[in-house]
Amino acid sequence: MTTRPVPVRAVKVFRDEQRAEPATTAAPRARRTLPWRRRLAPYAFVLPFVAVFLAFSVYPLFFTLRLSFTDWHGAGAAHWVGLGNYRYLLTNDAFWASLGNSGVLWLLIVPVQLVLAVIVAVLLGAIKRLRGFYRVTFVVPFVTPLVAVAQIWIVLFDQNYGPVNTVLGALGLPQVGWLVDSMWAKPTLALLFLWKTTGFVVLIVLSGLQQIDGGLYEAASLDGAGRLRQLWSITVPLLRRSLMFCVVLQTLAVFQMFVEPYVVTGGGPYTSTTTAGLFLFKHINSGDLGTGAANSFLLVIVVMALSLLFVRLLRAED
Amino acid sequence: MRTTPGRSARGARLLTRRGAAVAAAALLVTVLSACGPDIGSGGDSSASGSVLQAPADNSPKGEITIWDRSGDLFKVFDATIKEFNKKYPGITVKHEAVDIDSKLQNTLITGTDVPDGVFLDDAKVGSYVDHLWNLQDVLAPYSKDIAPQKVAVNTVHGGIYGVPFDLDPGLLFYNAKALSAAGIDPNGIKTYDDLLAAAKKYQQYKPGAKPIHLEQDAFNSQLQLEMYASQFGTSLADANGALRLDSAPYHQILTWLDTVRKDGLGTRAEYLKPTDVGALDSGDEVFYPWAIWFDFAPQQQLTATKGDWRAMPLPAWSPGGARSGAMGGASFVIPKDAKNPQLAWLFYRFLTFEQAGYSAVYGPNAVYPGGLNTSIPSYRPAADPAKPLFRPIDAMGGQDVWKTAVEASQEIPGGAPIPSWWAAAVDYLGTDLQKMLDGSLTPQQVIDQAGKDIQTNLVERK
Repeated sequence: MTTRPVPVRAVKVFRDEQRAEPATTAAPRARRTLPWRRRLAPYAFVLPFVAVFLAFSVYPLFFTLRLSFTDWHGAGAAHWVGLGNYRYLLTNDAFWASLGNSGVLWLLIVPVQLVLAVIVAVLLGAIKRLRGFYRVTFVVPFVTPLVAVAQIWIVLFDQNYGPVNTVLGALGLPQVGWLVDSMWAKPTLALLFLWKTTGFVVLIVLSGLQQIDGGLYEAASLDGAGRLRQLWSITVPLLRRSLMFCVVLQTLAVFQMFVEPYVVTGGGPYTSTTTAGLFLFKHINSGDLGTGAANSFLLVIVVMALSLLFVRLLRAED
Repeated sequence: MRTTPGRSARGARLLTRRGAAVAAAALLVTVLSACGPDIGSGGDSSASGSVLQAPADNSPKGEITIWDRSGDLFKVFDATIKEFNKKYPGITVKHEAVDIDSKLQNTLITGTDVPDGVFLDDAKVGSYVDHLWNLQDVLAPYSKDIAPQKVAVNTVHGGIYGVPFDLDPGLLFYNAKALSAAGIDPNGIKTYDDLLAAAKKYQQYKPGAKPIHLEQDAFNSQLQLEMYASQFGTSLADANGALRLDSAPYHQILTWLDTVRKDGLGTRAEYLKPTDVGALDSGDEVFYPWAIWFDFAPQQQLTATKGDWRAMPLPAWSPGGARSGAMGGASFVIPKDAKNPQLAWLFYRFLTFEQAGYSAVYGPNAVYPGGLNTSIPSYRPAADPAKPLFRPIDAMGGQDVWKTAVEASQEIPGGAPIPSWWAAAVDYLGTDLQKMLDGSLTPQQVIDQAGKDIQTNLVERK
């Protein structure tokens, strides 16, 4: 069945008519005459969600906000310290270092992951045989328990007895202190994160790829565009929303990264892998709940600012 | 622009709705903000300790929930319940394997499903005292027979908040076969200077070897540092919480560790990670000053050198000095919100101070046929060198580690409390210690820098 395209002008006239409708029409009056049960029904339907949202999101949020202005350590009365916790963190080198560590990890992970995900997704889209097998293969790391993978990483990247250095040694290359050298620990953690989560990003990009009209590629091909040109001029621009979604999602994940450094490096060597998430955990774990709460709000501000920046960039592109 | 009456009415309604929404949000914020801890303006937040009394009932009844770490130790404790019920048939023990580190804090703060007793690292007791029963009265009949170091680590502001369970004496583990081949008599190692000399001699015998373990993990290196300090009867902070890092014992310890590094005598590795195991099994690393629980390595992890390892008391820091210090350990704590704290006390009294109890824990059992040999009881009558609870260890050449450990433990001085911020200090002292062991800080710099950071970020913020 074919559908006749609706003229743009007709749509505009219809919208104008809708807007021009006076406010005192029959519609509000009809609403007023609805039985109270019908009027309450929508609220009743959303009530369960609102209740859960209030209990498990809004309440903890405000509780944490209030906590961030106190020195509460989990027992007894909390003392009001005003902006003391925020002032302490903002003048604390370790706090900024943890943000810096997360920033470096972001640089090592997100751009690389996007490029990898696009390449893998395009290849998966092009593969005809065993497509399901390859898709599952890429998703398997994402569903593998992180702690188990982290333990494998410790063995793989051991400085003296790890298989990675054994291979490097066989090739005549120098041994690297992957997890014990503050220069290499971050890239090694980034590699773990990439291995673990790239499959998930590939899935998102793959779904974005499937939204692209195949006719565009046919037209481009007829115009003489090669595969690379099609990738650069059609695929990447039309994947922009999917990619930006991934950027926002992974930015959140990287700045909240906790298990990887906690298990693999313990935040070391020399706190070089103490991420923002791990730094926050340390305050809470040591019972310094007020500072932990303030830290979490500062982290929220950083992540929100970054997310807004990316969304703005996307809008500017649009 | 002229405003039509319709628009004006709609605007007013919109304004009213927005106003109502803002008011509702403000009300919500106020209500939600009112929930939570009381906020005061000053004073001491720590609650005065509630002192637990022993139950008067001769045949007590009830149910207790006991939290232990999962793993083999849980199975060991689980097996003791049958023995406990022979004496107290009316008490039902609900034994749960729990990730205590991640669950205890939240449980205590919320007061929900609080267990009656918890197995807790000594280093963490201090941070939970506001939630725990003060056990000084129930422990009074036993206190004089408990290792002084264990009483010290459970004492906060004069109260005792944990039932001291195990004692983890530091020992010098050594590869007897390798030392014998190098012509080194371990009995000659009586001081840390002797240990340096023995290490140099071993290195001459086996060039390239780095005989002494130098811990590469920040947390464990700080724990080991405290073991060394415990030999002096000191620790990071005194009973009043005052920092004592800048002191002669710490200067001496750090200087010795720095010498091991500078002389190329130390294997830099994390405790029993692949590099460590490789160096131990290759005979490059032959001296391991560590807590008794290192004996797990020859039993479970080492292959090539299994059977070659032995343990002896730590060297002393000066001739005639203490030959051991404490490294780690755990105690039993009873939360104030427990439903049956007195029954939990009976359970822990049985495990710690009654022969049937501590024999069930340390003696041969289904989990450890030779007995639990990674720690010894802190209760002196249970730790008799002549009455071993666990058997000699085959993987250590049949050595009677019980006797060695118990005798060494008797030299551990008291007076080494653990401050509540001890674990948080790892970010400063543990990290700076690692920098020193990598050659980028001097001992004095470690003391100055870590001392300043701990004072600013931990001591003054508590």
